[in-house]
Amino acid sequence: MKDFQLGEFEEIVILTIGILNNTAYSVAIKDEIESRLKRTVSMGALHTALIRLEGKSYLKSSAGEATQERAGRPRRYFEITALGKKAIQHTKDTRDELWNAIPKAIWHSNLAGI
Amino acid sequence: MKNKQTSPPKLFQSFFRWFCNPRILDYIEGDLLEEYDRRLKESGKRKADWKFILDVMLLFRPGIIKSRKGYKKLNNYVVYKSYFKIGWRTLIRNKQYAVINIAGLALSLTCCFLIFGLVTHHLSFEDFHKNPEQIYRVVTDMQSKTDSYSSGVPTPLAGLIRENQTFATKIARIYTESNVVITLKQENETLQYKETDGVAFTEPEFFEIFNFPLAKGDGSSLLTTPNTALLTEQMAKKYFGEQDPIGETIWLGNEQALKITGLLKDFPDNTDFRAGIFASYSSFKTYMPWLASENFWSGISSNMQCFALIDPTVTSAQVEQSLAYYAKEYPISDDTKSSYKVQPLADIHFNGKYGGTMDRSNLWILAAIGLFLLLTACVNFVNLATAKALQRSKEVGLRKVMGGKRSELFWQFIFETGILVSLSIIMALIASFALLPTINSLFNTQIILQLFSDLSFVLFLVGLTISITLLAGFYPALILAGFKPIAALKGKLSLQQLGGFNIRRSLIISQFVISQVLIISLLVVMEQMRFARNADMGFDKEAIVMVNMGNDSLHLKHALKNEFMRIPGVEKVALCYNAPASKYAWGTDIQLTKSTQEYDFLTSMKLVDEDYLATFDLQLLAGRNLTPSDTVREVLVNEALLEKLGINSIEGALGQTIAVNGGNMRGPIVGVIKNFHDKSFHEEISPTVLTSAGSFYENFAIKLNPNTGKESLIQIEQIWKKNYPDQLFEFEFLDDSIARFYETEEMIFKGVQLFSFIAIVIGCFGLYGLISFMVVQKTKEVGIRKVMGSGVGHIVWIFGKEFTRLIILSFLIAAPIAWYLMRNWLQDFEFKIQLDVWTFGLALTFSFMIAILTVGIQVIKAANINPVRSLKTE
Repeated sequence: MKDFQLGEFEEIVILTIGILNNTAYSVAIKDEIESRLKRTVSMGALHTALIRLEGKSYLKSSAGEATQERAGRPRRYFEITALGKKAIQHTKDTRDELWNAIPKAIWHSNLAGI
Repeated sequence: MKNKQTSPPKLFQSFFRWFCNPRILDYIEGDLLEEYDRRLKESGKRKADWKFILDVMLLFRPGIIKSRKGYKKLNNYVVYKSYFKIGWRTLIRNKQYAVINIAGLALSLTCCFLIFGLVTHHLSFEDFHKNPEQIYRVVTDMQSKTDSYSSGVPTPLAGLIRENQTFATKIARIYTESNVVITLKQENETLQYKETDGVAFTEPEFFEIFNFPLAKGDGSSLLTTPNTALLTEQMAKKYFGEQDPIGETIWLGNEQALKITGLLKDFPDNTDFRAGIFASYSSFKTYMPWLASENFWSGISSNMQCFALIDPTVTSAQVEQSLAYYAKEYPISDDTKSSYKVQPLADIHFNGKYGGTMDRSNLWILAAIGLFLLLTACVNFVNLATAKALQRSKEVGLRKVMGGKRSELFWQFIFETGILVSLSIIMALIASFALLPTINSLFNTQIILQLFSDLSFVLFLVGLTISITLLAGFYPALILAGFKPIAALKGKLSLQQLGGFNIRRSLIISQFVISQVLIISLLVVMEQMRFARNADMGFDKEAIVMVNMGNDSLHLKHALKNEFMRIPGVEKVALCYNAPASKYAWGTDIQLTKSTQEYDFLTSMKLVDEDYLATFDLQLLAGRNLTPSDTVREVLVNEALLEKLGINSIEGALGQTIAVNGGNMRGPIVGVIKNFHDKSFHEEISPTVLTSAGSFYENFAIKLNPNTGKESLIQIEQIWKKNYPDQLFEFEFLDDSIARFYETEEMIFKGVQLFSFIAIVIGCFGLYGLISFMVVQKTKEVGIRKVMGSGVGHIVWIFGKEFTRLIILSFLIAAPIAWYLMRNWLQDFEFKIQLDVWTFGLALTFSFMIAILTVGIQVIKAANINPVRSLKTE
């Protein structure tokens, strides 16, 4: 299942797009990540990630309306494709699998260790 | 938008635009601007600016930066394809416009190419030698009563330099004798050729100085032994065909045998060394012993030239200094001060003082003419293009509405101009290659155009294409691209946007000034030529053929004369030194024996027999003809001589004894003949003496019956050949040789003819452009006038008066210029026509006719247009 390759930041971006649902364009995505995860996101990093994800066909985009504050430049809205959905599902599943495989005792002993 | 201050740092924004992949540029730029806007509201301009810069810098990373190849080029290709398509369609739709533009440009470009070929050919002279900057010719400047210059030096000088001086690493003499007859003696026949380029007697070092490589033969021993020679390949082919020429013999004249020891590769066209036969210098001692003598200091032949390869560490001033010694030690004559100069190889072709054939300034004048023609063609192009601009206003408007930028539109029109220019260049190339042989024979030039082998020509072509395109296309493109889209779409463009009218006017005037000056010059030159050719020269020159004599036997001369007389169709025969008018003149001093007074003028001597007067129909004013004699016994003189001698009455002259040729020819004057032109009309009539002296006769002057001339000439040749079997039969009709006096004038005439034709044609294109422009501009005015009841005649006059004014104004400028130029030109003639009003009037009429022909149809069309249509286009 190595077909579904997702980096950590990419995963966050896809998930955020999912959260924003239909209103996901770059600035909104950036704001959402920044407010939820309390981390700054540079425009460069975000756009590179978006381009890469679109290149992997996890995302598709469409041009939106141009607004005054953008000086007539159009927005570009992103949507998760079916493949994208599969990919995050796959990531989540593998993570869960790994979680479940961890012996419960570890957590307890850790607690006890404190 | 409302507030200028809210814009982010310009520099970084354009930097971003520059590096960003254009596919995502708009989106990311939008993000940047949105963010900026928000930050501006939150935390002020400074912080927003800094964050913006940071964002841009962080965006500068792979994935965002556009790739170096691919995207941009692909897009441009499509755009250019579309430009080409639109441009082509516009051309096809406006065929008339396209044809006029292309023809005008092609015409001046053709001239440019030919001029370029001529100029580069002349500038390239002698550029193929190994060290051209070290090669010099030693020349002589002489000062006596007047200064004179010679390309030659005294024969012994080169030998002395070689022995005593160190500045010349190599030095060589060359004596070139032109118009040599070469004889080939083959088993069964003798062939003779007249070589106008002649034979050069050369020292072997000549071929070490100059780069004229051998094709065949042993390089080390060439031209060292007497009576050996080299031939160029072309000459060898002419004499011996495919046969190997080495070891064969040719005869100089009929006497001196030369053995061929080697073959030279054919010389390139860009050299002044034109001889095809190079004989060893030692053979020269047999050919012309007096000049070849190593003690002959008392004369200079301009054909005896001395070339030296000069040590690069020595300056020419130093060389001239060391040469001064020889000028002092071996003077040419008592009253002549001479000095030797060194002339660089690059100067030889251009310096008329030392026999150079092409003055550099002439080349620059030609280049200026070419440039001028090109500029006028560009100007005409601009005129026409702006006149047509309104037709394309809709297209410009639409393109702009669809998002076309001004710069894109600008380049589109430049591109269209480029199409036109390329078409004209192709046409001009075809035309110039087609015309090249004609032009070369017409002007006796060697223009060479090499399209692919000559890099400079290719560069010239490319440079020309680009510069004409920019020059001609810039202004119209600027205007077209500057149309306001709304006005353009609504058809409300005002004509003020199409540029100044006065500039156009002055351009037309300058074009017309030039063509009128040329037309006037053409008429004057034509008149003068007709005058010179048809005027009575004072003797009969029709159907007279001058035939060279073969040798000096006086008996044979008389015998042949009698034989010629028996040929039917031969009317008269005279023996003589030369014809009444001839380029070969014999000048002599003169004295009246009864006084001791010395005269300082030269008298032209004509040695003739008793039939000379009758053959040439010279008029005897008093006295009688010469009695038959073979020695000087009596003389005839002309009026000019009497005048110079101060003898007033013709009768008083008869019986006086005169002595000529240093006193060794003397006799009484037995007759006076009427003045006749013995030279071209450039010069006055010389004082002339006619006397009989059999040993000096060189020509048969034969008056033929014009109807049977050809057959008689064949019979003359047969008789001549029978008597002089080993000589070359040479003859020339007198009127041809007289016409040759005016070769330069003939060339000027042809040149003026050609240039006035070109100037007129280009002027017509200019006029056509102006009228097209005016018609567009005045469409509404004409419509309104017609509605108000104007007739066609009246409207034609609106345009007519403009052109009348332009032509008269340009005539007022052209007439004095032409008058001044032509007066100077005529000054060179002793016998000339007067400049008259008619010539100028004719030129003016001619200009009017051309103008009417050019603009007439357009004007009438404009005047007849239905006013409803022109007014409705609102």
